[in-house]
Amino acid sequence: MSGKSAREERREERLQQESEGERQERRRRLLQIGAGAVFVAVVAVAVVIVVVSSGGGGGGEVDLEDTRLVKNELSGIPQEGLLLGRPQAKVTLWEYGDLQCPVCKAYSEEIVPEVIESEVRGGAAKIEFRNFTIIGPESVPAGAAAIAAGMQGRGWDYLELFYRNQGTEGSGYVTDEFMTEVAKGAGVPNIAKWNKDRKSEKMISEVEATTSEAQRLGFTGTPSFAIEGPGTSGKETLGTPGSAGTIEEAVEAAG
Amino acid sequence: MSAPAEGTLRAIATFVAAFGIGVATYITIADSGGGAPACLAGGGGCETVADSSYSHILGINVAVFGIVGYVLLVATALLRGDAARMAGFGISLGGFGFSVYLTYLELFKIEAICQWCVASAVLMTILFGLNAVRMVGYVGRPG
Repeated sequence: MSGKSAREERREERLQQESEGERQERRRRLLQIGAGAVFVAVVAVAVVIVVVSSGGGGGGEVDLEDTRLVKNELSGIPQEGLLLGRPQAKVTLWEYGDLQCPVCKAYSEEIVPEVIESEVRGGAAKIEFRNFTIIGPESVPAGAAAIAAGMQGRGWDYLELFYRNQGTEGSGYVTDEFMTEVAKGAGVPNIAKWNKDRKSEKMISEVEATTSEAQRLGFTGTPSFAIEGPGTSGKETLGTPGSAGTIEEAVEAAG
Repeated sequence: MSAPAEGTLRAIATFVAAFGIGVATYITIADSGGGAPACLAGGGGCETVADSSYSHILGINVAVFGIVGYVLLVATALLRGDAARMAGFGISLGGFGFSVYLTYLELFKIEAICQWCVASAVLMTILFGLNAVRMVGYVGRPG
């Protein structure tokens, strides 16, 4: 009896050892699977980030340039609608422009930032953008979208960012997608509202109204500038000044 | 140093994942109304993030994926055994990786931070930690 019992005990012990060994083996295998999963996850995240950062996927199709530059250019300057600068500034400058116009783009990059820095930021003048659509039919929705962005305090961000990312004239780049990316890049807070506003009849009429106004002022090309201040007799036209210095002189004379 | 009791890890994971369901559900509801989650400290970070093209994948708000992930993590925390341990680890690893990706997008692509997204990323990181400790400490063992 006792011999059989000892044999059984030894057998049970052996089985127990075997089962413990199996458990250890299973644990080792599962831990290996876990380590493998961590490795795969690290590689996957790294690959996705590299692909996205190189512009190969993830977000929209339009890769905007100069978002930060525009943000810095306009930071700290009050905006209301398409008016940039302190509302109480004595001198008002108007820029009549077309968002599709390459010369306006050049002005936006080389001349307007200097005027903003020297005259607008300090409060000597305020500048208002008005649509003067002469390039093509797409200039109208582009301009209406700028007004809609202005309703959310991002009008000038939109204008400047649009110019910085302007495509080839007449190439059909002014799509809903392009304008939406510009609006997002400009920091328009409520894109759904902006989408609704920009397509409204009111916005389109406003673009048409400012275009007629520019024609009444005798402008034939973009960008054209006008100025009004204590030193001017009402609203005076400046045409297309060749340099920031010319505009700055006009502001001083008008102030 | 021995791992904390598995029951404790599971209880904390259940609580954290349930909290995650709340956060992800709030973001989803706020977005479905055409708006954005309200940033507690003001600023437009949440709106900017919610309006960005990265906030949806195949037309689905990324927060919906968050809800699914957190629900699965509650389930794995409530269940016993190796299958639950491995599933909890795998799902939380995926969620953690996804959170790293989303945080990268916020910082370097959208250039705006949404507190609700950060909250979710923190919760997912905690869950990954808990599930990793549970897996390493207890996988292949009875219970």
